Amino acid sequence: MSLDENNQKSVDDRAGVPDEGLIDRVRNTTVGKSIIRSPRRITPRDRAAGHWASFLLHIYPVKIRKKELGFRYSWYLGVISTVLLGSLILSGLYLMFFYVPSPANAYADIQTIQTDVPFGQYVRNVHRWSAHLMVLAVAAHMGRVFFRGGYKAPRQFNWVIGVVLLILTLLLSFTGYLLPWDQLAFWAVTVGSEMAGYVPIIGDQVKEVLLGGPIVDSSTLLRFYVLHVAVLPAAIVFVLMIHLWRWRKDAMFDQEAVDADE
Amino acid sequence: MSDEKIETTTPVELSAKPDATDGKRVLGVVPGKPSSGERKVITSDDTVMVWPHLLVRHAVVAMATALVVMMISVFFDAPLRDVANPQVTPNPEKAPWYFAALQELLALFPPLVAGVLIPGAIILGLVALPYIDNSKFIRPRHRKVAVTTFTVFIVIWVALTIIGFMFRGPNWGWVWPWQEWHGEL
Repeated sequence: MSLDENNQKSVDDRAGVPDEGLIDRVRNTTVGKSIIRSPRRITPRDRAAGHWASFLLHIYPVKIRKKELGFRYSWYLGVISTVLLGSLILSGLYLMFFYVPSPANAYADIQTIQTDVPFGQYVRNVHRWSAHLMVLAVAAHMGRVFFRGGYKAPRQFNWVIGVVLLILTLLLSFTGYLLPWDQLAFWAVTVGSEMAGYVPIIGDQVKEVLLGGPIVDSSTLLRFYVLHVAVLPAAIVFVLMIHLWRWRKDAMFDQEAVDADE
Repeated sequence: MSDEKIETTTPVELSAKPDATDGKRVLGVVPGKPSSGERKVITSDDTVMVWPHLLVRHAVVAMATALVVMMISVFFDAPLRDVANPQVTPNPEKAPWYFAALQELLALFPPLVAGVLIPGAIILGLVALPYIDNSKFIRPRHRKVAVTTFTVFIVIWVALTIIGFMFRGPNWGWVWPWQEWHGEL
């Protein structure tokens, strides 16, 4: 069925629906049709169909329970965490253009970013503060979901996925902490990675795999950089997709609680 | 397909007749399960379209978040200390703030306990939580044990984080943050 026939059919379905605003008239021109290729969505059924057909909306369910809309339900902490992740990916990509992960270059590159790169200082600030805020937002999201009982059946496993996301968030923040290669970065990572050394028997090996040697040096910087810009972002995006997928599948349905309606 | 035919083609004994009405066909009957599965049937009054109701809210939250980040970034610069120098150890030597509670624990307990057992137990406990607290009750007042345990844990963890972040100075000694500031972001 061609698009035009499809349009015509939808129009026939709603005989008696009033048209036509300015937008409808623009939409019906040749140019308008080429820009907005779908019919006007009027009935709930139309709109659901439009939602299903939209690539950008496919991460959302078509409908959700009313009580999930309000601030009290979630404090919107999941959205906030996701938006911060987006902010981190965008600002991080920009910073990658100006940064070389070697002890000889890293620190000077940060100084160049702050003084010579257009908006460099601002973008670095966005990256740094978004990272701290994301750790806070993800932790708070976990707290809110706990008190709401959001991990109750049938959603147990999405909580587990959330724990994985919290750990990935911490690892991303920690690996990024080293990259400026200043005293703050160097010694915070030295202290942080000492904890890995306390694992019994294999502690030293774990630490050596993490740092690429017994102490924080150039191989640590390269290792943390690769983890920070490739491995961990890919992992967190992948796991986040599963997290959102499961949220989307469950969003229409109440949990199996006996006291939900009180 | 008529109702009569359904009864002859389904060998299981049904406790109730399938709730098929005129004009609908029963494609199959799974014994032992209600037709809607185990989920509560939601009426359309309980749900709303995601567009516009949820998406508008998410758009507002996204813009507010972006605004907060932009404002902080305009007014506060990210820290950059001197270039890394393995010969010069700062005192105190601080982990990032989200590990401050662990670092504080390291000052209180032997490394095996504070650095391995406690963090390991926390992660395992969080993963296992939905399978431990698996009652059918969802309201906080009906699951007092879980809520109390979690709240106590959160309070202790936040307190340790604040102490490790703000109240620790040289040689991990106690300082008052309004007299000496050693927190680093």
